[in-house]
Amino acid sequence: MTQDLLATIFADLFTFSMIGLALLGVVLGLVFGALPGVSSTMALAVMLPFTYGMETAPAMVLMLAVFFSSVYAGSVSAILLNIPGTPGAMITLLDGHAMARKGEAAEAMAYALIASIFGGIIGWILLVALAPTIAGYALRFGSPEYAAVVLFGLALVAYASSGDTLRGLAAGAIGLIVGLVGRDQITDVPRFTFGTADLQGGIDIIPLAIGLFGVAEVLVLMTRPKSEMSEIPETRARTWPRWRSLRAELPTALRASTIGTFVGAIPAAGSAVAVALAYACEKRLSKTPEKFGTGLPRGVVAPEAANNACVGGALIPMMTLGIPGDSITAVLIGVLLLHGLRPGPGLFESQPDLIVTIYGALFVAIILTALVAGAIGIPVYRKILKIPQRILTAAVLILCLLGAYAVRNAVVDVWVAIFFGTLGFAFIKLNIPVLPLAFGAVLGPLLEENLRRTLVIHGDVGVFFERPISLVLVCLSFAILLVPLALSALSFLRRRPRRHSGL
Amino acid sequence: MKKTLSLAAAMALSAFASGAVAQSFPESPITWVVNWPAGGGQDTTSRLVADRLSDVLGVPVVVENYDGAGGLTGMRELANADPDGYTIGMLGSSSIIQQYTTDEPVMMDQLQVLSFFGPDPGALTVGADTPYETLDDYVAAVKEAPGDVPNGNDPPGGASYISAAIMESSLGLELNKIPYAGYAPTVTALLGGEVQSATVPLPQVLEHAASGDVRILGVMAGSPHFLAPDVPTFAAQGYDVLAGDFRAVVGPAGMPADVAATLSEALVEVLSSAEFVEAANAAGYMIEPLGAEEATARIEAFDAQVYPVLEAAELVTNPK
Repeated sequence: MTQDLLATIFADLFTFSMIGLALLGVVLGLVFGALPGVSSTMALAVMLPFTYGMETAPAMVLMLAVFFSSVYAGSVSAILLNIPGTPGAMITLLDGHAMARKGEAAEAMAYALIASIFGGIIGWILLVALAPTIAGYALRFGSPEYAAVVLFGLALVAYASSGDTLRGLAAGAIGLIVGLVGRDQITDVPRFTFGTADLQGGIDIIPLAIGLFGVAEVLVLMTRPKSEMSEIPETRARTWPRWRSLRAELPTALRASTIGTFVGAIPAAGSAVAVALAYACEKRLSKTPEKFGTGLPRGVVAPEAANNACVGGALIPMMTLGIPGDSITAVLIGVLLLHGLRPGPGLFESQPDLIVTIYGALFVAIILTALVAGAIGIPVYRKILKIPQRILTAAVLILCLLGAYAVRNAVVDVWVAIFFGTLGFAFIKLNIPVLPLAFGAVLGPLLEENLRRTLVIHGDVGVFFERPISLVLVCLSFAILLVPLALSALSFLRRRPRRHSGL
Repeated sequence: MKKTLSLAAAMALSAFASGAVAQSFPESPITWVVNWPAGGGQDTTSRLVADRLSDVLGVPVVVENYDGAGGLTGMRELANADPDGYTIGMLGSSSIIQQYTTDEPVMMDQLQVLSFFGPDPGALTVGADTPYETLDDYVAAVKEAPGDVPNGNDPPGGASYISAAIMESSLGLELNKIPYAGYAPTVTALLGGEVQSATVPLPQVLEHAASGDVRILGVMAGSPHFLAPDVPTFAAQGYDVLAGDFRAVVGPAGMPADVAATLSEALVEVLSSAEFVEAANAAGYMIEPLGAEEATARIEAFDAQVYPVLEAAELVTNPK
């Protein structure tokens, strides 16, 4: 297998036409992914017609190149413009844009690139080495486990969201309610649609995030008095981080990549869950959690490594079971189907060449993304900040609204972005954190769907405590939520008498 | 005022122009609406047809995904488009069902059927670990424990939910229907053992049956599926169950007759070509090219079959 893989990479993929195709795919992915609102799924769908006339191998090379590079490039608009291009970049913007505001935009992009490549390679290694094993675990992930992992994610987010806990919880609760809008996945009953057909599809997370972060940011800039007008400072000369600071991020990158690969391998979990877990986990483990969100490189490394490790992870169920791990791999399966190949458990025996080609193509895509983004991408992207602030602000607003529309070709999503932009602006003015809202909207529907499905199947909450994976996750979640509460209650009780005597 | 006049003049002119060029339809790109995301069955089949349709018509046919609201967003896009033949699209059985189960649905009289694509019959598949070796075993077990056997399917109103409901009502069974958001999570749940059976179309489980992870007990169609000729139909095993999804090509209602005829003929030509059928079959899709009239009749027959099932399942919120 290893020999085949190396032979394929060097003999078949390092040909002029294949490298040319991969290069084209990487460049297109870097452009598409950096555009706000153009998700990787959309980039792949745009490329789909061009693969009809191709052989399967070049088609997969092109698509995987677009796939990987667009997932990385989602971080670019997050860092530079505070607009998440993809759900996976929603976390990156917290510290990434904060770094940009400190004049470290290029360094943030470099951290994002290095973390993405690292995550991509870890995901790729796990895919190549352990795909069938991980797929077996992914299958054991039923609705109870899924509900438990989402609960765990929510608990981590609640714990990790800094500042006023009460305000954070309130924002999270609003997010959960936003997640209820639309057709309920279990009974298909429309909820909170106010009688309009437009809201039946629910509130898509991309327009929501574009509004909450991008539009709100524009509003803040527009209402700032002239005297306070500060341009985003010109980037300092340094682009590439020092080796020593990179080495300090290694444990983070390893943890985040592992989380990303495994979560990516669970069908339908998606990168939003992976980055949320990775970020919250790092914040939990950090000795200085209060620094997250202020422009900490670790806050870029964790989500980006997880996000790109998801690529390898999402290919695991596709290659071993023929089941798409997310909407992006669904398009890849579409490509295979259009070439008359049916991915499934038989693929390893019936099409070993194809498996090796896909593995090789992903590897080539990762390496080319590193080279192209590092050599051309970052220097070009950083020029965006040279655009005068007032023009940039206007352009950002237009990009936000266009991006929101482009997600589903729906006008309602533009209104969603404007609505959440206003809400996000109000939150900033009232000093309420917006991140819990976004997480609530992402994780809430997943928790509800899987919890209710668990109850429909098993009819009893007890099942969560009978299955080992869910038992551990539920206990951990409660520990995360209750231990700090108990500790502070304890210290409060201990302190009270003293305060009393002091009076 | 001047503006209004010139606008009116322009409109009159363009109306005249469009009347004059109706014979030379089409002369600009055609938009093909897909009401599901890229990569799914509706999308793959649409792209297979659109690619070849543009060769026949001589203009580009551009596939656009209008995803959302369980396919309703795309249907609304189609119904509200100008009925000039430049916006067409594909629909499946869920769009027929939604007429009765949704608020503000798109009704079939807002659309005009151009051709039938083909059926996608339901199948009953069980996990390899379950004790059900044959359809008889399964039916007997479900009868013994009504409401206990978990079956994976779409949320209420989706194609595989309706297949399960038709099987229940035809055979007097009661399943524990567990909804999943699409075929991929349903098949995952079947493989993981969370559900014992699933009513997804046969191509979704074919590879897993070949590897021995699941057993396909029967096809809910009049004849066996071309991909698995060994799997018997329900009828061949003594159970009268016909259910499943289908696909058809439609445009907004009120298209000029000659435009609709041009599109319909071109579609049937594409769908009948040996090269297309081979490509579609290789991708797992059954092709049954039918013109506008026969396609309309097929859809009406499905409507007549499914409405009582929806009523019995208490899903109808918008009665006929």
